[in-house]
Amino acid sequence: MNVNATFFAELLAFSIFIFITYRYLWPSFSSILDARREEISKGLEAASESQKKLEEAEDSSRKMIEDAKNEASSLINQAGSRGDQIVEEAKTQATEEQLKIKSAAEADIEQNVTKAKENLKQEVSALVLAGAAKILEKEVNAESNKQIIDDLIKEL
Amino acid sequence: MAEKNVTDPSNVSDLTPTSEYISHHLTNLTYGWCEKSESWGFAYHQQTIFPESPCKVTEMGFWAFHIDTIFMSSILGVIFFGFFGLAIRAAKLGVPGKIQNFAEYVFEFISKAVSTNFHGTSKIIGPLAFTSCIWILAWNLMDLLPVELTNFAGTAGTGFDYFKVLPTADVNAPLALALVVMFFVTYYTIANHGLGGFLKEFINPIELVGYFSKHVALALRLYGNLFAGEMIFILIGIMFGQFLMSFGQTLWFFPGLIMNLAWALFHILIIALQAYIFMMLTIAYINLACAKH
Repeated sequence: MNVNATFFAELLAFSIFIFITYRYLWPSFSSILDARREEISKGLEAASESQKKLEEAEDSSRKMIEDAKNEASSLINQAGSRGDQIVEEAKTQATEEQLKIKSAAEADIEQNVTKAKENLKQEVSALVLAGAAKILEKEVNAESNKQIIDDLIKEL
Repeated sequence: MAEKNVTDPSNVSDLTPTSEYISHHLTNLTYGWCEKSESWGFAYHQQTIFPESPCKVTEMGFWAFHIDTIFMSSILGVIFFGFFGLAIRAAKLGVPGKIQNFAEYVFEFISKAVSTNFHGTSKIIGPLAFTSCIWILAWNLMDLLPVELTNFAGTAGTGFDYFKVLPTADVNAPLALALVVMFFVTYYTIANHGLGGFLKEFINPIELVGYFSKHVALALRLYGNLFAGEMIFILIGIMFGQFLMSFGQTLWFFPGLIMNLAWALFHILIIALQAYIFMMLTIAYINLACAKH
């Protein structure tokens, strides 16, 4: 244990290291730690805020989903009734159409029948005329007997 | 290892190798003023690289420098404070890396110790506590290096036969720290209570003794603990040698190894504790100087 001039050298070295710590190390450490502390507290604040926002968003989304569900079910109902209506309409239309076609067909048939009847009458009258001519073996004057033939046709 | 230092033939006894061994381990590499040759130089027969003076260590007066203490303490300071400097230089505000995390943890530990024990306002107390704690810890860690290491280095041809790696075991280093602490204690006492308030403390002259002894004790507590720790390592080292001589070779190597290991493990506690105690007492003294009373 001998105290000597080493003491002064150590004093100088200690002073230099204290100065370095005082000037550079300590301020930079405390500034970075303060900055981080601030950042963390900001982050925590932001986290609680966003938590709140999340809850709000969840509420609103739940509400939205409920609304959408209601809307969807009402839409489905509407669509169902509309569909029924359409089917009903189609049915009545089809029936009407059917009736129309049927009546048209009937009218057509009737027309054809009348036409056929007319033709038949003509042919029959011709046949009758020919038959009568053969029976009488003489030319029957169609002009003169026209009255009779017409009466005959009418009777047919 | 101590053959070169056998200089006094009248002191021959059975204990000579042992005492030589101990004194060799406790002698600093010294550069100083030699009265005999009236010149500066390294002490006689301590190293073989630089020119040496005819004076032995004991013959040098106050104007001598312990080169090993100065070198080790400075280089340790550069390494440790450099580490913190690099850590903070590479530091980023976001998620810190491992090294930055460690450095910030150490800083926060010391800064918390300061903020909980110091209630005044001072810009220097934090850096003072940080510097003393880290620097002393760095010094003390050197105590865990094997005591024989520098002897091996010396005999292996580095040229330095004397080299104490532990700056704390040189009383000059802790005393310098304590003087700086005393300077700041005095400064804050005068700054907070005025010169009159400072002088009023010494109305009872015994207080003056207390004032100095407080700071000397701060230095000697640190010095004594580490010096004693080093001494125990040296004694265990001697046991190795004695066992090897008397009982032949390897058998006694293991008890010595176990003792050395046990003491080293216990010493880790002392190393950290002394650095912590020095820091805490520094804070407490300056807090006391700033306190209103």
